[in-house]
Formats: sequence, C-alpha cells, structure tokens
Amino acid sequence: MTCAPSVAQEIQLGPAAAPHKAHVELLSDAVEVKAGEPQVVELRFRVQDGFHINSHTPKDELLIPTALQLNAASGMKVVDEQYPKGSTFRLPLGEGATLDVYQGEFRVSVRLVAPKGSSTLTGLLKYQACDNAVCYPPKTLPVTVAVTGD
Amino acid sequence: MLLVAGVTLIVVAGTHNLRQRQVVMQKAQQDQVQLTPASSSDTGDDPEAKKLLGQAAPSFTLVDLNGKKVSLADYKGHPVVLNFWATYCGPCKLEMPWFQDLQNKYKDKGLVVLGLDQDDGMAVKEVAEASKRVGVTYPILMPDDKVSKSYQLSDYIPETFYVDKSGKVVEQTIGAHSKNELEADVQKAIASGGM
Repeated sequence: MTCAPSVAQEIQLGPAAAPHKAHVELLSDAVEVKAGEPQVVELRFRVQDGFHINSHTPKDELLIPTALQLNAASGMKVVDEQYPKGSTFRLPLGEGATLDVYQGEFRVSVRLVAPKGSSTLTGLLKYQACDNAVCYPPKTLPVTVAVTGD
Repeated sequence: MLLVAGVTLIVVAGTHNLRQRQVVMQKAQQDQVQLTPASSSDTGDDPEAKKLLGQAAPSFTLVDLNGKKVSLADYKGHPVVLNFWATYCGPCKLEMPWFQDLQNKYKDKGLVVLGLDQDDGMAVKEVAEASKRVGVTYPILMPDDKVSKSYQLSDYIPETFYVDKSGKVVEQTIGAHSKNELEADVQKAIASGGM
C-alpha cells in the first residue's frame, strides 16, 4: 500500500469571503492492493494541532460523529469501514465534560475489492471540530484516493 | 559588615519576589492557554474582534421553542445576556447551566438570558430536548441567518453579548469562560446603562 501525503480541499460552507478553516486533512491519496479479492486499506487523516473531532462513537448522542461515506468507482466494491477507538478528552472548564475524540492522526480501515488497474475511491468525511473553548459547525472533507489493483 | 548584610538581604528579597512574579505570570499564561481558542487570532477576546462593543445591540425578532415571537425590544430596560450556542457544542453546554444559575441569582436585578441556537436545520423538538438535558429554562430562540449577520458572528461558538439596560453591548466574548468570568460580565451589564 502506498500512501502519499496530500492536503485535500474542504468544501467551503460559509460565504466565499469568509476565512477558510481546515481542521482535518487527508494524508493518504493513493493505495496499491491485490485486485479481485477483499483487501483492507488504511485511510490516514490528521486533525489540526490544538483541535479535536468527535470519534465515530461519541458518548453524547447530541454530538456529531465522524463518519466516512465512500462511493466506489465502477468495478470497485467497498465492503465496510472500521473506525479507530477515540481517546478521552476533558474540557478544561469547571468540572469539565468527558468526550470521546480523535486528535492528531487517525486511520479508518476500509475493506474493499478493487479491479485490476487504476480506479478511484471517492467520498466524504463528515466531522465536527472543536478546541478547548469553541466549536465549529459540522464540515465535510472530500476524500479522493487513487487505487491501483495489481 | 551591616551594610553588606543589608544589601545581600535586599538582593535575596528581590530575587524571591521576582520568582514569585514569574510563577504567577506562568500560571496566568497557563490559564490563558486553557481558555483561549486554539486559533488565537480567532478569539473574540481580541479587542479588535469585539466589533459590537459599545454599540447598540442589533434588534431582532426570533421564535422560541413554543413558536412564540421574542424580540430584543421586549426586554428594554433589562440587562440581557445573548448567548449563541448549538447542540453539538460541548463548551457551550458547559456554560449554559452557569447562565441559568446567574439568571436565577440576578433575577431581582432584572437579568434576562436568551439562548440563540445556531444549529443548522435541527428540528425544534430536538433543540428543546437538548436544552432540557442541559438544564436551562431560559428562552431558547431558533436560528435566523439575519441575526447571525447583524451580530457579525464568527464561524464558531459560543459567542456571548452582554447588553445593558440602555441596549448597549458592554461586553462581547467568544469561547467558553469560567463561571466567575461570566458573572463579572453579567455584573457589568447590570451596573451599566442605569435608567
């Protein structure tokens, strides 16, 4: 599996003139897998320093989970995704509140069946970022990964 | 001999005081780090970001969780806290019970707290359930982009405006703050704009 770092562009939800806030980037933009049989590839993401995003299974149902929605190209089949466990984060105010979050790098394992040759895995990573004191609206990071089936 | 001892004492005392000041400064800096948004240039505590400070709070009419229209003008003559929040915002939900406590504490001073929800497309029922879980009974108002624009909100919450009895914004903060800080700002709103 080859993983070349690259920064994906986020969809801008606010006014065009508003400052762009990217809190998560995609680190994997290309993978090589064995064609024609289920393979697990890891998509690496990195949360900007000083920020956290909810894990896939936040403790509070009001919190927005991080979720990957993948669209397999023709001839490719996405079997499932496995999310990492989050880490515990406590807000540093009052008695605080314990959250289940991703910070720094995290990896989503995707099981897929790829055809021989080149194809593209696309999708969206939905997340909602906060730091110690503020939260940003839910955002969507486009995911594009070149898949080479050998 | 006495002179040497005196000078030594002064130097030692000065060094001790310097160390004490350094410890206090270091602690203050640590506290600041904890309570300041990671994007320091984003913080509303930057005086340049307090765009409405000293100005009249923009008027609005919004709908509460019961569908009743609520206008800022309804509370003319009252100190008012306008707290912009959302159900997905952990720091917001830490502050909200403190605003409830402060409204109860300063009820006889006429304090009014209004929570202005900033969720995008969330049903009234869900917002109502969330505010109930947080434990607040003060009015929660449903979002309207016009109000967000008139208050020149940033891309993040919580953001809070403290409005005095004359309708002037006397404090504006971004990010969650300690209960003591909230109370100090509430007192500022109560003390200002005497009528």
